[in-house]
Amino acid sequence: MLRRQLFGLMAGAAALAGISSPALATDPVRIGYTIARTGLFAAAAPSQEQAYTLWAEQVNAAGGLDVAGEMRPIEFVSYDDESDPAKAAQLYERLITSDNVDLLLAPWGTPHHLNVAGVVERYGFPMVGNTAASVMIREVQPGNIWFPTSAIPDQIGPALAQMLHEAGIQSVAILANVLPYSQENLQFLTPALQAQGIEILMSENYPPDISDMTPLLTQVRAAEPDAVLALTYPADAFLYTGQARELGIAPHLQFLLIGPTIDAFGKAFGPAADGIVTLAHWSPEQEAWPRARPFFDAYVARFDQEPDYLDSALAYMSVEILQQAVAQAGLDHDALRAAIANGTFDTINGEVRFDGVQNAITPTAFVQRQDGRMQLVWPPEIATAPLVTR
Amino acid sequence: MLDTLLSGQLLFAAAVLGALYALIGLGLNLVYGTMRLLNIAHGDFLMLGAYGAFWWFTLTGISPLIALPLIAAGGAGIGLALYALVFRKQLATGLAPAVIEARSLLLFFGVSVVIQNVTALLFSATPRAYRHLDTVYQIGQTAMTGNRIASLLVALAILGGVLVFLNRTLFGLEIKALIQHREAARIVGINVSRVQIVAIALGFGSAAIAGGLLSMTEQVTPFMGFRFTIAAFVVIIMGGLGNILGGIVAGFLLAVIEIYAVTLFSAEARSILIYGAFVAILLISPQGLLGRARR
Repeated sequence: MLRRQLFGLMAGAAALAGISSPALATDPVRIGYTIARTGLFAAAAPSQEQAYTLWAEQVNAAGGLDVAGEMRPIEFVSYDDESDPAKAAQLYERLITSDNVDLLLAPWGTPHHLNVAGVVERYGFPMVGNTAASVMIREVQPGNIWFPTSAIPDQIGPALAQMLHEAGIQSVAILANVLPYSQENLQFLTPALQAQGIEILMSENYPPDISDMTPLLTQVRAAEPDAVLALTYPADAFLYTGQARELGIAPHLQFLLIGPTIDAFGKAFGPAADGIVTLAHWSPEQEAWPRARPFFDAYVARFDQEPDYLDSALAYMSVEILQQAVAQAGLDHDALRAAIANGTFDTINGEVRFDGVQNAITPTAFVQRQDGRMQLVWPPEIATAPLVTR
Repeated sequence: MLDTLLSGQLLFAAAVLGALYALIGLGLNLVYGTMRLLNIAHGDFLMLGAYGAFWWFTLTGISPLIALPLIAAGGAGIGLALYALVFRKQLATGLAPAVIEARSLLLFFGVSVVIQNVTALLFSATPRAYRHLDTVYQIGQTAMTGNRIASLLVALAILGGVLVFLNRTLFGLEIKALIQHREAARIVGINVSRVQIVAIALGFGSAAIAGGLLSMTEQVTPFMGFRFTIAAFVVIIMGGLGNILGGIVAGFLLAVIEIYAVTLFSAEARSILIYGAFVAILLISPQGLLGRARR
């Protein structure tokens, strides 16, 4: 497996360096992006970059990117932004002005998107975002950046409260990481729960570097809530799940904000991860999205791991949107901007259309691990399986 | 509340966490004590141990606990290579300890960056995890997951073994002598470079073992080490730099503060409580819990 990984890395490096099929003789389309290869977010970024790599390999293998009728190979120009949003902004400026790239893909994470938004706006360079989710994205000047996500906290809170209400949940215990995305969700979730008449038995914040949750979970167990809502990031999602299991915390429903969608989570907990509900709006189980399952299968075959149901899916959606817009409009920025802003795109997550900076079609959704498969359980119109409670 | 505080559950959590903190601090303390090297890459050696355990289990399907001697040997080997290539010359310059400390801090910072990024290049930064010994055992009112019991037992065995080695064997006493007074140790005929080699092997090997243990309960990433480097420094400064027993006591104390103070106050106050206690101990006893002025 190690050898396969190394070969994979080399193949990935070759793809990044643009050593693609020799049959493609025309000039490559140079596509630039930065990603957090080092620093705070480096562990989260591969799920996004691997989706880019897969896409480029698939497109090149199929004869190249359709640029308004002309097939051209893809060549990536990428930099490590060291998890620093300010550095990402500088590097996007360099990609545009010095590297003269033809197209841009998005960096990883909300702060990076918000910083880069200013650059693409200044140069009038259209870019489809992906892994940014915050109410702040609505304050970005619309025109050159778009966000396919539907995981926005002011929509998540009411949707989650409604799902819990319909599942008969009457009381919850909330544990929230103090990091921004968790707190933004907490801010909208608390009033939404109250509006649904769900009693909040306890609500505790914890720091991201927490090493043991036993004290908090002992309180949760004593409170006997119908559901535990843990507004986690990946590292503490592991801690919560392992220690809640140890303490025998088995409410009707457990919701974790970020973490259960990554491949390692399923590998760490196996069947014990079944029943956990989390945030994601994509699943390969949705047959109404014919592109979903092939993407999942190709990703697993290529990287020997499952895609992240949030970040990998969003990253792939963003390149699908770009690909379809470029096929229609070519590389001219004005034409491309109009094509993205006005088009409807067929993605692994179904149809996507933008209204301003936001995805106007994909609903805020939740998934649940059931027998090792990630099933969409909310909202009913895209659900692939009913929500299972204990 | 009193029921909770007296419960076996909190005691078990504190014991597991304390044993790991003590083990992580032990390695750092041995390397600092014998050579005055401030190994800010300590957590990265822990990370390498975690990857060692992950790949061992993934490729062989055999318990990483069996592979711990191999993982320790790997950590020790990399530590010894670093010592031979970089630090032996530094130590042989006869520079004042303060200069060695300052230089080693910068050198290890570089080592840390290199280790993290080479690991990310080799294995990608994607988080890794595996499932091992995750049966939950119920003893009375206390629930314990198998991998946490194993971590506790292994860490305690190593801590006990090292304490016995340091206090009951001639070679161990030589290490202690070097920690206590470097020049005097040399004068009485202790083979300083031999002692340093053993201290390096023990220090880096124990960090790798701690990583192997943690890999059973945490996600493994190239960047997981930093948090443990910080914890290790807090532990050894609290216990008295270079004081092995002090570091072990401080490791458990840190865990007790973390578990019980969070229970009494709130999780949000964790950092305030830990660093508050840290500062308070240094105010009362500037050389740490069991520390004393050193030369």
